Amino acid sequence: MHKFKSIDLSSIKGNKISAAIGLLVALCVLVSLAVTFLGARVAEPIYAGPGVTRTAMLSDYFDGIAGTAGDTEIYIFEGEKPGASLLVLGGTHPNEPSGLLTAVLFIENAVVTEGTLYVIPRTNSSAFTCTDPQEAEPMQYTIDTPGGARSFRFGSRATNPVNQWPDPDIYLHSSSGQLLSGSETRNINRTYPGRPDGSFTEKVSYAVTELIRQENITITVDLHEAAPEYPTINALVAHERAMSLASSAVFGMQLQGMPISLEPSPTNLHGLTHRELGDYTDTLAVLMETANPAQGRLRGRTDEALVLTGQDPLYVKAGQYGRLYVPFGDSGHPISERVARHTAGVLELLAAAGEAGQGNIEVSGVPGYAEIISQGIGAYLLPPE
Amino acid sequence: MQLGFWVLIAMLGTFLVANMLFKLPVSISMVLGAIVGAVVGGKGFPLRHLFEGSFVYLDTMLIILTATLFMRVIEKSGAMDALGATIVHRFHKAPATLLILVMLIIMFPGMITGSSAAAVLSVGAIVAQIFQLIGIPDNKSGAILAIGAILGMAAPPVSIPAMLIAGGVDMPYIGFAVPLLCMTIPCAIFTVLFLGYRHCKGMDYEKIHDKLDLETAQKYGIRLYAPIGIVLVLMALTRAFPSVIPNLGMPLIFVIGTVCGVFVGKRFDFLETARQSIADTVPVCAKLVGVGMFIQILTLTGARGTIVVGCLGLGVVLLYVCCVTVLPVFGAISSFGASSVFGVPFLLAMLSGNQIVTASALALLASMGDLMPPTALAGNYAAQIVKQKYSDVFRACLVPAAVCLAVGLLFLIFSKNLGFLV
Repeated sequence: MHKFKSIDLSSIKGNKISAAIGLLVALCVLVSLAVTFLGARVAEPIYAGPGVTRTAMLSDYFDGIAGTAGDTEIYIFEGEKPGASLLVLGGTHPNEPSGLLTAVLFIENAVVTEGTLYVIPRTNSSAFTCTDPQEAEPMQYTIDTPGGARSFRFGSRATNPVNQWPDPDIYLHSSSGQLLSGSETRNINRTYPGRPDGSFTEKVSYAVTELIRQENITITVDLHEAAPEYPTINALVAHERAMSLASSAVFGMQLQGMPISLEPSPTNLHGLTHRELGDYTDTLAVLMETANPAQGRLRGRTDEALVLTGQDPLYVKAGQYGRLYVPFGDSGHPISERVARHTAGVLELLAAAGEAGQGNIEVSGVPGYAEIISQGIGAYLLPPE
Repeated sequence: MQLGFWVLIAMLGTFLVANMLFKLPVSISMVLGAIVGAVVGGKGFPLRHLFEGSFVYLDTMLIILTATLFMRVIEKSGAMDALGATIVHRFHKAPATLLILVMLIIMFPGMITGSSAAAVLSVGAIVAQIFQLIGIPDNKSGAILAIGAILGMAAPPVSIPAMLIAGGVDMPYIGFAVPLLCMTIPCAIFTVLFLGYRHCKGMDYEKIHDKLDLETAQKYGIRLYAPIGIVLVLMALTRAFPSVIPNLGMPLIFVIGTVCGVFVGKRFDFLETARQSIADTVPVCAKLVGVGMFIQILTLTGARGTIVVGCLGLGVVLLYVCCVTVLPVFGAISSFGASSVFGVPFLLAMLSGNQIVTASALALLASMGDLMPPTALAGNYAAQIVKQKYSDVFRACLVPAAVCLAVGLLFLIFSKNLGFLV
């Protein structure tokens, strides 16, 4: 019988030439990848639509972030008639793309005749400039519009470590004393209400809080996505002062055929918009979640197709095992459906504001749930310039 | 059969062939496994993903680099011999108390940093010296050290695996202290007494007295221990008063201890010591780079999801079996990764019990992954400190590790009844 012998490659010794070759290869890899990674710092264009009356920067409300990667654009729609105001926070977590796309949809389509609408498409703009090691996510995804394809960055859940590093072993939420794992220190939705002398991320959340205080914003809605195995999904989470408003919006969404639940903001979970913005400002704070398999732990191949189609055979299987909190069939949860849900949610909140006596905000030009589902999100984005 | 399954087989097969047949280092074998996995998964040669994956453990690598240098410096300064001798001199009449005290010393850095590697690297050499003096065989010393460090990592107040699992379901890290202590402290006492007591219960102090280096401590006095004291105090202070003392980070704390260690004891060649410690550390860091790439490709190709969904498809009994097998085995790649990738879905699959007790038990089970080769962060460093092969240390760990897993399993099964601990 032939005896199997191992071949000891570890005995091969290096020398100066092999070291030089190794270094050269490493240098070439670094240069080529540097171009790729630095490309993520170039923001995708967002085109101001007919209703945008002016733009501002977040640093206008807290100059501690001026000139940093945390500063970001605010698109403002001022109606001719005064009324209530609503702030849309997109891109809190750039690995949850429907938040950004819904914000872009409003920016490029909405017209306001009464009240004021504020839209921040990239709330944590730093987190758009990197992806998370270990998650293998795509760096961008493309949406086809009638006038050509538009690319958007798929970023990280947390601030780029280039802007805030190193993480502590544990993260102490300053105003509540809550302890979380150290990596959450760069998650902007764990840092509210923020601190003017805090970390990079805390300064950005402080700027958002200041915007709400200084503009006396009536309603704030933060757009998110969640993994299908996460219990808070297809849900609207509301601060206790916003429950009446949120229940009207949920009712309106259910009438349109969308399964959605209303959940109270937990009083013992701190740093999130629906808790802290409600506690530290006068705004009515709500947060919306849709189902995105691309960020789940059960996902299969991680790529642009998964982000856009939301289809994943592993999630179908997990659904059959009863492990998910949202129905998951072969058609998955495509990006257009997720954006449509968010859009409908914001429109229902706008409608509910008037009914609840918060003051009117009249918005037109934004497609509804059924239109976005049937035409696709691309149909409502402006063509690339 | 899912493509992810075949990718997993290709990656593991390539790793084993490269490591065992071609005798390539674990690090290179992991990289080759990742490359083959990407090709089989239809992703070609994904340079960006391989590069990005190499950053998963950047912070851990910095801790290991600086902690190893710190350990070498206190060893050369004479502090290690002196402290070991002093502890044995004081407690030799009560060996069980001595062993339990030493176990708590091992656990302490892990309890306040949440890192088993930091625990092994900061106090490991001192403790190994004590065990050697009182007659515990080196492989068992390594085992006590490794398991103590892991239990320290799982124990409160800072249990990062528990924090990761809690964070994954938006559960505040509140109420975990008692369940975690109820699991880790009994396991720690059992481990140190099981492995160590029989060797030191009849300790003949007269015989070992001559081996004790009590002169160095007398010559340099209390200042000899200043580097160890500074490191432990800084770890504790930054944790106790986080709003007053800025987060220094473990690497900087170890660097401060190292600088102090150069001046307080015996003279030695610092540059040579630094060169040696870097040479010791590079293979471990390379292994972590390889592991990071491996995980990234597992995720990219869907192999990771295939494993997780495969486990979740099992019935209740098999799900428990998965918890005590898959969590520690995947912990071989990363215990933090296991907590996040498996711990969160497992917790969601067991919501009928007490969630905090369940998450605590899952955190303990995931932490045991730091014992599993190839990475075995705690295990490998413990073996290196006691100058033994890791396989020998691992063998000595088997019974205590099995007990830890059994305790974790019992807490999982009876989490509902143990809700009063929260």
